[in-house]
Amino acid sequence: MYGWIGCYLRIDLGSGTVRKESLPAELARKYLGGRGLGTHFMMTEVDPKIDPLDQKNKLIFAAGPLCGTNAPSASHFDVVSKGPLNGTIAASSSGGIFGPMLKYAGYDMIILEGKSVKPVYLWICDDVVEIRDAADLWGNTVPETTEAIRAATDEEASVACIGPAGERQVLFANIMNECGRAAGRSGVGAVMGSKNLKAIAVRGTGAVRVPDIKAFRDTVVRASAKIKANSVGGQGLRNFGTDVLVNILNELGGLPTRNFTDGYFPMADKVGGESLAKQLLIRPRGCYACIISCGRATKVTNPKFAGQGEGPEYETAWAFGPDCGIDNLDAVTKANYICNDYGMDTITMGSSVACAMNLFEDGIITTKDTDGIALTFGNVDAMMEMVRKTAEGEGFGKKLALGSYRLAESYGHPEYSMTCKKQEMPAYDPRAIQGIGLNFATGNRGGCHVRGYTISPEVLGQPVKMDPRVTEGKPALDITFQDLTAALDSSGMCLFTTFGLGAEDLAELLSAATGLNITTEEFMKIGARIWNLERLFNLKAGLSAADDKLPERLTKDPILTGPSKGLVNRLGEMLPEYYKLRGWDAAGVPTKQTLTDLGL
Amino acid sequence: MKMKITVRAFADYREIIGKEMELLLPAEKTIGGLLADLGDRYPNLRREMFTPAGELKEFINIFINGRNIAFLKNMATPLSDGDIIALFPPVAGG
Repeated sequence: MYGWIGCYLRIDLGSGTVRKESLPAELARKYLGGRGLGTHFMMTEVDPKIDPLDQKNKLIFAAGPLCGTNAPSASHFDVVSKGPLNGTIAASSSGGIFGPMLKYAGYDMIILEGKSVKPVYLWICDDVVEIRDAADLWGNTVPETTEAIRAATDEEASVACIGPAGERQVLFANIMNECGRAAGRSGVGAVMGSKNLKAIAVRGTGAVRVPDIKAFRDTVVRASAKIKANSVGGQGLRNFGTDVLVNILNELGGLPTRNFTDGYFPMADKVGGESLAKQLLIRPRGCYACIISCGRATKVTNPKFAGQGEGPEYETAWAFGPDCGIDNLDAVTKANYICNDYGMDTITMGSSVACAMNLFEDGIITTKDTDGIALTFGNVDAMMEMVRKTAEGEGFGKKLALGSYRLAESYGHPEYSMTCKKQEMPAYDPRAIQGIGLNFATGNRGGCHVRGYTISPEVLGQPVKMDPRVTEGKPALDITFQDLTAALDSSGMCLFTTFGLGAEDLAELLSAATGLNITTEEFMKIGARIWNLERLFNLKAGLSAADDKLPERLTKDPILTGPSKGLVNRLGEMLPEYYKLRGWDAAGVPTKQTLTDLGL
Repeated sequence: MKMKITVRAFADYREIIGKEMELLLPAEKTIGGLLADLGDRYPNLRREMFTPAGELKEFINIFINGRNIAFLKNMATPLSDGDIIALFPPVAGG
């Protein structure tokens, strides 16, 4: 095989057995890798109804055929499992160099089964695969774990690990690699913790083979030139990072504020990318083979929040900032560092604090619930203390560790949780931007922006400008973006390459890497197949059309201030057409014809 | 009768014209007219925003009170007293 290695690891953590299995070529072409391939194995080997933290759940690390090649920003791998935050099929993507290292070691994927009786970590160096004792690492932060494992194995090793949050099975614990990159959403770190697996360290000395090196190089040069020529992919993301979005969303009136009670935050600029670049940025940072460098290496010198690390990204700056009514960039950045060190998803963490603040302001919870802390919007010290308590597993932090849905539900008010399918929505107000609301509601892992980023046409005007306030055309737009992303996530490429590359470019790269003739149509069909397979998993897990919804606040309570004052989301105008275009019946179930057409 | 218009600049444009300015403009001014005036005052801004043929470059977004001019009357969109203009170079994120 070209592009793929053709081999994957199956490791039973309970018995300690390690098997090397061949990847069937037809399966590789059908699902590519990453998210698609991982979902296939979850669907065929795991009962969708199981408790995500039961040892019968599996945890799959999967790279795609382009991952590890010298295609631009071809660094991504996915962690696939049944997610504990909301019980949907979880696939969480990350960059860094873990994915390429896995392939250089000789594997497309690792399937982890069972549960170790004691803390362990995996050491993979080419043919050598060892399950090692991790008793001394248990309790360590992500940087401590990474440093200790590199010292014990190889300084060049890539380490993907959980922090104390994953060990304690915080439901939004993530898996961090290279310290600053995260498989961030859906709580895949809690699954890793439930298996007593602290880390996977991998060092590979092999390569990814392509059929014609010169032809592949020519394709890569063309793709790289397109990204560099694109004013966003080539310069915008490097200069200001993703946090530059704060101001454009705010000026549009679509920046969710104080737990989505509003869509405009007058002090937004203080936590935006321009402020970050001026005050905290050390340098932009990229993943393996990256020509975009959206990452932010930052340093906070303010003694109260001092630290150094990675971030914040836009979603993080929003979650700890405007969503909590906070305009202190130093505090926001420090909260990000804590989440990175302990291994927690910043979106769900920040949104859960915002939800608690909303409950507190409305008198549903009091200082008796919050360990004596006045949890009011804008209270920087309170926000920081809540992040710390969650990270340390203390007091009210134990409730926050369950995410905002379970938190609000425990006080009889789940409507305060700004979630879709119990996963917190990211930083775009669906009342101001109709299409992203449909995407959140139909998301296969719940509220999520990276699986159908309609913000690109609806706000950023790329590749074309589409009016965010209209619903016409949005179902088709959402489907196109969802399918494109599903295929891209499975190929091994970074999502940001789509600021420059289209489906035809990605199909061309895949063809050149694999030696197969993968057309644009086939690429998009692979995406549709993966999306429908994820849907089938969720339906079997017990979800239904009733879960394709937005919080009532977004369809009934208009935005209060700013440019989008008075707007609500009109999901009801879009959802029936979405089902129809998807080839699903009125209950949101794929028809037999749809499944046949997709080879499912 | 003059109109008071606020212009906000973001990302790279801040380096050229500053963060925010208030202007007094004649009542019949359009957004196209305002940008032409700004281009005269800040040639670098014109170079960043427009092609040599005078077309707005791709992926640039201009908002009037939160609405992209692409969904109004583009450069012919008339301005009103109190309008807030936001100028964004190509940006992205996620």
